[in-house]
Amino acid sequence: MMKLDPKIPAGPLETKWDRHRFSEKLVSPNNKRRIKVIVIGTGLAGASAASTLGQLGYQVECFCFQDSPRRAHSIAAQGGINAAKNYQDDGDSVARLFYDTIKGGDFRSREANVYRLAQVSAQIIDQCVALGVPFAREYGGQLANRSFGGVQVSRTFYCRGQTGQQLLLGAYSALCWQIERGQVTMHPRTEMLDLIVVDGQARGIVVRDLVTGRVSIQTAHAVVLATGGYSNVYYLSTNASGSNVTATYRAWKQGAAFANPCFMQIHPTAIPPGDEHQAKLTLMSESLRNDGRLWVPKMAADHRSPGDIPAEERDYFLERRYPRFGNLAPRDIASRAVKTVCDEGHGVGPGGQGVYLDFADVIERQGQDVVHERYGNLFDMYNRITGEDAYYVPMRIYPAPHYTMGGLWVDYNLMSTIPGLFVIGEANFADHGANRLGASSLMQGLADGYFILPYTIGHYLATAKLLPVGEDHKESRAALQRVAGRISRLLNAKGRRPAASFHREVGKFLWDHCGMSRNQAGLELALRSIPALREEFWRNVVVPGSGEAFNQELEYAGRVADYLEFAELLCHDALHREESCGAHFREEHQTADGEPTRDDTCFAHVAAWEYREHAVPILHKEPLAFEFVQPTTRSYQ
Amino acid sequence: MAHPSNHFQSSVGRKVVMALSGLGLVLYVIFHMLGNLQVFEGSHALNGYATMLRDMPILLWIARIGLLSLAALHIVLAIQLTLRNRRARPVAYAVREYRQASFASRTMAVSGLVLLLFILFHLLHLTAGVIDPSSADRLDTEGHRDVYGKIVHAFQNPFIVACYLTGQLGLGLHLNHAVTSSLQTLGLERAAFNRLIKAAGPTVALLVVLGNVAIILAIFLGIVRG
Amino acid sequence: MTFTLKIWRQKSPDEKGRFVTYKAHDVGSGMSFLEMLDGVNQGLIAKGEEPVAFEQDCREGICGSCSLVINGIPHGPDRGMSTCQLYMRRFPDGAAITIEPWRARAFPIIKDLVVDRRALDRVMQAGGYVSVNTGGAVDGNVLLIEKDQAETAMDAASCIGCGACVAACKNASAMLFVAAKVSHLALLPQGKPERTRRVKTMLDAMDREGFGSCGNQYECEAVCPKRISVRFIATLNREYLRAGVVESGLPAEPESPHAESA
Repeated sequence: MMKLDPKIPAGPLETKWDRHRFSEKLVSPNNKRRIKVIVIGTGLAGASAASTLGQLGYQVECFCFQDSPRRAHSIAAQGGINAAKNYQDDGDSVARLFYDTIKGGDFRSREANVYRLAQVSAQIIDQCVALGVPFAREYGGQLANRSFGGVQVSRTFYCRGQTGQQLLLGAYSALCWQIERGQVTMHPRTEMLDLIVVDGQARGIVVRDLVTGRVSIQTAHAVVLATGGYSNVYYLSTNASGSNVTATYRAWKQGAAFANPCFMQIHPTAIPPGDEHQAKLTLMSESLRNDGRLWVPKMAADHRSPGDIPAEERDYFLERRYPRFGNLAPRDIASRAVKTVCDEGHGVGPGGQGVYLDFADVIERQGQDVVHERYGNLFDMYNRITGEDAYYVPMRIYPAPHYTMGGLWVDYNLMSTIPGLFVIGEANFADHGANRLGASSLMQGLADGYFILPYTIGHYLATAKLLPVGEDHKESRAALQRVAGRISRLLNAKGRRPAASFHREVGKFLWDHCGMSRNQAGLELALRSIPALREEFWRNVVVPGSGEAFNQELEYAGRVADYLEFAELLCHDALHREESCGAHFREEHQTADGEPTRDDTCFAHVAAWEYREHAVPILHKEPLAFEFVQPTTRSYQ
Repeated sequence: MAHPSNHFQSSVGRKVVMALSGLGLVLYVIFHMLGNLQVFEGSHALNGYATMLRDMPILLWIARIGLLSLAALHIVLAIQLTLRNRRARPVAYAVREYRQASFASRTMAVSGLVLLLFILFHLLHLTAGVIDPSSADRLDTEGHRDVYGKIVHAFQNPFIVACYLTGQLGLGLHLNHAVTSSLQTLGLERAAFNRLIKAAGPTVALLVVLGNVAIILAIFLGIVRG
Repeated sequence: MTFTLKIWRQKSPDEKGRFVTYKAHDVGSGMSFLEMLDGVNQGLIAKGEEPVAFEQDCREGICGSCSLVINGIPHGPDRGMSTCQLYMRRFPDGAAITIEPWRARAFPIIKDLVVDRRALDRVMQAGGYVSVNTGGAVDGNVLLIEKDQAETAMDAASCIGCGACVAACKNASAMLFVAAKVSHLALLPQGKPERTRRVKTMLDAMDREGFGSCGNQYECEAVCPKRISVRFIATLNREYLRAGVVESGLPAEPESPHAESA
């Protein structure tokens, strides 16, 4: 029977982490080099963790499916990274960043974790500067900040619109150093396909070399998953096409609890979808909302060109509904507001899926040069994709799946319900509750990797009893068999439908029934339909080529197979959560004017799901106690 | 950490040596052109100048050996780098389109080869007098060796003129890319000077070629006579 | 729209490759180049044939995965963007398009249009970092950095490591890639302590990997998705010369501060 023990240290919030670090056992320096740690994923969390563990003296084996660790999807984060530096002296503090994050997450995250995140945030900036990350600077040479995504202080550090890239390249360079020193062995183009659990402890993984197709066993003393989120279960999302759920999903099947899978962030400012061939939705940085104004025509189905619609016939719906935050309302609120106006028939562009994001005012006020300096690359990108010039015609945007707050359940030490399996970054569920604030994902990834995991994993390694486990261990062989079996099943289905068509179908289903707003009937329909689609997949999928060679379609089909199972878990979770909170909006739970109603009496908990073969997963609840903040109705009106 | 190899063995190190030796040769070419322009001042000036150079045999030979070594170094490195660069792309593209590489930059090997052949020809022709023995050294009225007469005689021959003009074409093309390129290789780059640096190659090439061609054509067209 | 595609197919690194011609039908002008290829591949897969292998991931021009030489130009006809940002409206209907992989000895072909670019990672490992440990960094504002300098460093740092510079270079040189990294760190005070060593070890690694040398033709700059300027190559050369001068006054092999004592 699974037990959820969050292991939150007792005592005052401000000193929990310090006292916890002191009480943790350390691994003696001489022993570290005999301890092997596997890190899967080289995004911000994975690269920072692998490099720091290498620096500490552990033997690190690091894996990524990309051809280079530098290409992990953290690279695409545009806007910035938050830190409670209070350089602007505008009232920011650790406590305020903590409170903003807890409140932004709609009181569905752990106080202790979030407070720790806010505490280490300042260190992250210092570390990144030391690594040579070229943050934007003021003329006086100091670090520049901007206000970002639904907060009222300027605490976001940035490198133009490429903050994720620069932070990742910083972590990647630290990783390069450790590779050069021989502390980290890097395995690019290698995909984790299963987890090896021995005596209840995570002791290794099964990987496939994507170039040769060779499947092999890697054993270690602990396994760290830093494999990102699963937005791609929706088929169309802002994620890179390679981002997938496979690593976390396979870990789930081996006994790690999956927490809050239905908490999925829909980003309000993506370029609207075009035709069915479209492979991804391109995100336009949220920073655009600092200066752009969202509006739709007041009249439904108004097909006039935007320039012909006079100001009094425009509905600046965010400013109208949320006067205090206006266009900077948090992502979930903005996304839902966009959906609402589109559902009411005010949407613009093809299929009425879109709203205007208009820069006319700021261009008039500050000039085109200022706008060009701030957003030039984004305007260029928009122009390239749509063929429209946003300096003269307002952009059209529409929400898109972007980030998953849900993930594998972890305790305060970032360890899953499988001892020895640590989960960091977007792959865990920890810090963002039901909704993540802008510029907080980079903060969390680096906090986990640089400053939290390296401490907490040490305590586990110093205290756990770890017997030698080799490739010949029966659990290793069993895991290998599972992987080999799945691969041959995919190759031998020999049907007629490419995996992508199944992916598109399940994604559309989820988007329609488990997307920005959800209801019981839709979720139940999805739960009835997905198994049939899955059954067809295994009967009718076609995967050309062989398993013993470079075979991109085989990689992809394996991931789609996992989406087809995982989609069900997502729906189970959405169905269970009979409230509207954060990004999760149940149509049954809203006020008369469409605002979500949260239910703290029944749902102030983390929903952690346990895998059962051929049966409905079991729900475990970790109650969320709020000792230091009082859950309030999250109002941005 | 990898042990750093000798600083000038690396590809950039070799490029630096090529740039320096090339610039040395460019300086000589400019000097050579300026000296020869004295042909427009008549036989007295040019022959006097030639005699002055001949009267310093040690300096002359140091300069000759220096120039030959520079040229040899330049050529050897060029060959080494070219072979290396060929190896760097064993399979060629089926379709290839250049975006901004200048014609001169793409023909450095060809222009360099033309230039080398021309220099050999030039040395055999005017310095050693092998190609056209009829223009062997004579003395002028002042008892100086008649370089002026030799040149005037040579450039009345259309074949010789054609060879020299081809040589100048090679020289111009080569310098057009080479001078700016060598400044880049030596790391000269400042926003304020970039236009100057960009213009350096074409300017030097143009001036040198204009000067040299003026001499050749002036004689061939009978503007300068014996 | 309809296109005739001449695509390089090569089963494995050792086998000989060849061009195969495919037709792309029903292509919308709003489709990206990669979506057009997706369409061709879906057709092949449905027939049970192996799809054309090519690399892509983020599809928004930042991960640096995509790597196609389109009609003789890496990343295709538009400047300042990667293959994934190329849209079919750029091509006339009925056009014939030749698609080749990056070609360089340092980038062996894995399959079809996919090449192995680990050489670039190894160049980075040779010195493309600041050797600082996690923890104990001073406050970010202790180092004051001129805005212009930070911006120039950012210009260099924006390299996405796609390798188009190598693909475009007549000599398959990786100078622009190395220049971007060396310049980024040489321009910032954090990178100064290691600048002498860094430029040498990275350039040595570049040579070792079999890249060619720079011909100053600047084709690299013309195809760079991030428009990284060749002025950084001059910076790299200058750094290298500087290293030569500085090093002559130092012990031949400075002791590594991080050498394991045990």
